[in-house]
Amino acid sequence: MVEEKKKRKNIIKDVSFRVVKAALKAILVYLIYFLLAPMLAPLFGLIPGIMQSIEAFVVIYIVLMILSDLTERTVFQYFFSTARTLFIIAYLLLSLSDGTISTSYENFSLTLNLTLFYTIAISLSLLGLASSILQAINFMCERAEVSSGLQPPQKA
Amino acid sequence: MKKPLLTILKEGTIMNVPIRALGIATSIFWILLIAFLALSAYSFKDLNFDFGEPQLTTAPDGQLLFSLPLYIDNRGYCSLKEFSLSTIFSDSEGVEISRANTFVPVIPSGKNVTIFHNFTMSMDSVLENAEQYLFDDNNLTASVTAGLTFAELLPAQISTNFTFPWGAPFHNFALGQPSFGRFNSTYSTMSVPMSFENHAALDLEGSIRAKLFDSVGSSLGESQTLFFVPQQTSCNGNLEFYIPLSTASLSTANNGHFKVYFFTPLLEYGPLVIPYG
Repeated sequence: MVEEKKKRKNIIKDVSFRVVKAALKAILVYLIYFLLAPMLAPLFGLIPGIMQSIEAFVVIYIVLMILSDLTERTVFQYFFSTARTLFIIAYLLLSLSDGTISTSYENFSLTLNLTLFYTIAISLSLLGLASSILQAINFMCERAEVSSGLQPPQKA
Repeated sequence: MKKPLLTILKEGTIMNVPIRALGIATSIFWILLIAFLALSAYSFKDLNFDFGEPQLTTAPDGQLLFSLPLYIDNRGYCSLKEFSLSTIFSDSEGVEISRANTFVPVIPSGKNVTIFHNFTMSMDSVLENAEQYLFDDNNLTASVTAGLTFAELLPAQISTNFTFPWGAPFHNFALGQPSFGRFNSTYSTMSVPMSFENHAALDLEGSIRAKLFDSVGSSLGESQTLFFVPQQTSCNGNLEFYIPLSTASLSTANNGHFKVYFFTPLLEYGPLVIPYG
């Protein structure tokens, strides 16, 4: 009875810790976006719709990050983490298909070549995807070790 | 002492360290990339471009020289590289008349640079394509392309097309009806009113030479007049011909044609054939 109470208390503590951690991380990411958005505005303000697109991207990224943090120490954490990385890759592919942004204003046409940025961003996203998959494999291996009785010695 | 082959390690030691290292390295690179992009975009705010008053002069070899001052104030954190400005002038049919390129390798951060974009236009090459530019106002098309590499690795290009009004130097050039008079016992005079408007961006100075031919194509006389016509003003004058009084010339001088030649420091053109009578 006491042990069950203790276990329930531990679950509540664990869940509340995850919620606080997820909230803090989300606030931090949004704060970074909030500070960077005015810096990006002079350049991206020339391209209609891109700031709204970046805002939507940040919102979806934060949602996936919260879900990943809330499901920590479960296999779903890695699902959401992988989904987040795939979302970044998809966003980059859709928004910068050939690495250039072109816009027209009255008689002027502006072309911004972001190929190098695009290449680095895609490479980092692929590294992130590889990291998420490796983490998921590692998690499943540890699970298998625990269930097969080959678990490593617990700390005293 | 030999280590056993199957050493039991602490939880996650085998995979977690490289995976975490990979994650940390990726995060650091993401932060650097986003910070760089934000800094570059912020620097764009402190970049000012301004155009000065274009200057039009004539070269000794009879070419028009356009000079367009361009002021670039780079107060951003990043330098600008490979700044290029290209201008192509073409006529209404798309035939290229003139082309100019200006290239500046580096515009360092915190510097104010003045660039002169110079281009020349040969009047002869303009007239080669279409003589209408001498007598009729028209529109030339200017295609301007400016490119630069921003913050070392972000190439950007801006391009525009606009029409450039071309003012004809001898707009509405016309010769009126000739009037005859007697000069002396051997010659009669023929006075022909001449008018045109200088719509060009330059004052026009030179001479007009006209040859008079009768209905059978015989040359009857020649006249030359000097002119100085400031820009956007009209010129009205007379061409005076002295025709020998003979039965043959009097019978055929009532109709015929003029061959008009234009001489200015910028261009020489002729003959322009204008019938009369």
